[in-house]
Amino acid sequence: MIAADNMPVSVRQYRAKLVVAMMLVILTLTVAALVVAQRNVAAGVEQELQREFQAELAALHNVQELRHAVLAERCRSLVRKPRIHAALEDDALDLLYPSARDELRDVMAAERGEGGYALHAEFYRFLDRRGGVISPADQPDGGALLPHEEAQLALPGVPERQQLGYLVRRNEAGEEMMSELIAMPIVSGETGEVIAALVLGFEPATFAGTRAVAGIDRGVWLGGRLRLKGLSAAEESALSEELTQAIARNGGEPASFERTVEGVPHLVFYKKLNPASLYPSAYEVCVYSLGGMLERQSELRWRVLGAGGLLLLAGFGASHALAKRLSRPVEKLAVNSEENLIQRVRAEAALEVTHQELQRAARFSADASHQLKTPVTVLRAGLEDLLAREHWTPEECREISALIHQTYRLSGVIEDLLLLSRMDAGRLTIDFRAVNLTELIDAAMDDLGTQTDDLELNVDVERPAALWVSGEKRYLSLILQNLLENARKYNHRGGRVRVTAQAEDGMVRLNVANTGPAIPAEAREHIFERFHRGGVGENVPGYGLGLNLARELARLHGGELELLRSDGEWTEFQVSFRLAPAAGRGV
Amino acid sequence: MALAWLLILVGARSEAVIEGSVALPKTRSTPVMNQRYEIVSKGGVIATNPPLAVVYLEGDFPAPEQAPVVQMPQKDLTFIPSLLPVRVGTRVEFPNLDDTFHNIFSFSPAKRFDLGRYRPDERPIPSQVFDVPGLVTLRCDIHEHMRAVVLVLATPYFVVTDEEGRFELTGLPAGRWTLKAWLNSRTTLEQPVELKDGGRVRVEFP
Repeated sequence: MIAADNMPVSVRQYRAKLVVAMMLVILTLTVAALVVAQRNVAAGVEQELQREFQAELAALHNVQELRHAVLAERCRSLVRKPRIHAALEDDALDLLYPSARDELRDVMAAERGEGGYALHAEFYRFLDRRGGVISPADQPDGGALLPHEEAQLALPGVPERQQLGYLVRRNEAGEEMMSELIAMPIVSGETGEVIAALVLGFEPATFAGTRAVAGIDRGVWLGGRLRLKGLSAAEESALSEELTQAIARNGGEPASFERTVEGVPHLVFYKKLNPASLYPSAYEVCVYSLGGMLERQSELRWRVLGAGGLLLLAGFGASHALAKRLSRPVEKLAVNSEENLIQRVRAEAALEVTHQELQRAARFSADASHQLKTPVTVLRAGLEDLLAREHWTPEECREISALIHQTYRLSGVIEDLLLLSRMDAGRLTIDFRAVNLTELIDAAMDDLGTQTDDLELNVDVERPAALWVSGEKRYLSLILQNLLENARKYNHRGGRVRVTAQAEDGMVRLNVANTGPAIPAEAREHIFERFHRGGVGENVPGYGLGLNLARELARLHGGELELLRSDGEWTEFQVSFRLAPAAGRGV
Repeated sequence: MALAWLLILVGARSEAVIEGSVALPKTRSTPVMNQRYEIVSKGGVIATNPPLAVVYLEGDFPAPEQAPVVQMPQKDLTFIPSLLPVRVGTRVEFPNLDDTFHNIFSFSPAKRFDLGRYRPDERPIPSQVFDVPGLVTLRCDIHEHMRAVVLVLATPYFVVTDEEGRFELTGLPAGRWTLKAWLNSRTTLEQPVELKDGGRVRVEFP
């Protein structure tokens, strides 16, 4: 690894791009998470508020239902009262309130009993057949109302069904307060006609009870004005204005809007309290502070941001590490390419040197061989000329013959060296053809036969009629000659030579075995080396090139030469060749 | 023939007679099987059902020497009769012929009273003197459907029509009078009549 400063510009750019891409991915994920989370919170809170509002309205509705039920029952029992009938029908309105007193006593009970606020009226009034208010005059039974307040209870006509209304009035202490009005028709049991109506004023169900949930204010919008506890006059009037417009816009349908009150956003829900009523419309208004939600939202935002930051940090580290890791092969590649370049140049230079040396060596070998061959040939020719003369004694003839024989040996050595040098230089190429090994074996046997007379060797040959191998005939022949030469050379008088050849598994195996002394174990590794002659005595002719040459040639043919055994009884070599493809075989 | 005989009879008494009919409003409900007449209040108007009318001669007649006494018993949770015209100053007794309590009362301006709950064997029989002319609606506080009307008139000459609206008013003094027909709490028709001794006048209220 090289230091970052030393990093190539391209690698640094690559790594930077990788980091930036990963950071972008993480950033996108964080932002997406933030947006989704925030939206979820907003939607959740709004839903929750809606549910709450509906629940409140439902509770309110329940209270109203209860009141209606109680009131209806009250009116049914009232209408059964002959005195009420009498008072209403017999022009005795002065007796109406005293007559109803007993019936409505529990409704007007000052002490709140079991029923709680829901069933206790603050006041009641009767309406006559035309919807006008029957004033109790000086009687205290109906509860105290100022004349103009009482007048607001009147309806355009006696109602056929119950009517819900709201009245703003002042209590004994002069405080403004709101009352919920329920007007219930009094229906004659005999004729089924509405003979009057009873209006009861209750404490509004909307204002009843304490604030159920923190941050929620409830009020009633009536006649263009909202009355909401805990709201400053200015805010109240501004909100009233907005509500009035919204109500006019929506035609009395329940709706909601957002509004900032005292710097805090609020959600304002409103719903008509008295749909289809003869009394003026009133709206239940719930103002929900979104402060809590915003707090939660901001808390969540910070949390998500924190998580995002951590993620970003972790991501940065991870992406850095990842980028580093991903870019390592690239760096390595870059580094390697630099090192490689140097090494390559070096190697190429070395290779060039080696090549030149090899060439030189090969050329030297070839030149040397050539330079040696010529004098040897000249020498032999001279010796043969000399021998051809007739005045030599037999002793002299034998010596000259020996000298001639030595020149042959010298030629053989030179030939072998030449061949080896060509192989070393890589200049020897085999001209692969299909060669009938059987023919080669037979020819070699003939040659051997002529050379073994003095040793009286027994030669066994076992080979198929034709055995086609892939190779060049002259080299295959050379291998065979070398092996047979060895088998003859390292034999003893009257010894045996056994040659077997057979094809198996696409290879041809030729075994050459001879009797004779065993090759010492320590020499076995070296017998295929050049100029090694094993532990043989100096009396055995040779230069230690034969086996080396044979093995090199066998390998060039895609085969191998190895020593199978040498145990004093038999010394056996095996050479393998590739079986020639049937197509290339001659006749 | 009969008419001549009647004329002779009346003439002998030297008292006038008014006969005629009042066009009663048509009612949808079939007449009650037991011929009860209920007092109904519809649209603030009190009337009998089926409709009946009270025809009376209005005028300034001398007060009776002795207060007349009339009975309006309650039987089978009904006032009998349900429409009772009385002369001013009449004492009306309300005997309870049922097996249950009754509580007769009236909020009517002409006569407010409350007899309270009383037994069938209550003695003396609860009664009230009706000394102001006008319509008095009687109710029972216990039985909301029980209702009756006492029409207090400043005349001794009155009669309740039959359900066809026919009436005959006898023993009338000669003179110029106003004949009135009370149909319900809101409607009272009137016609001037001039009666001669033994005379017979026919008056139709359309």
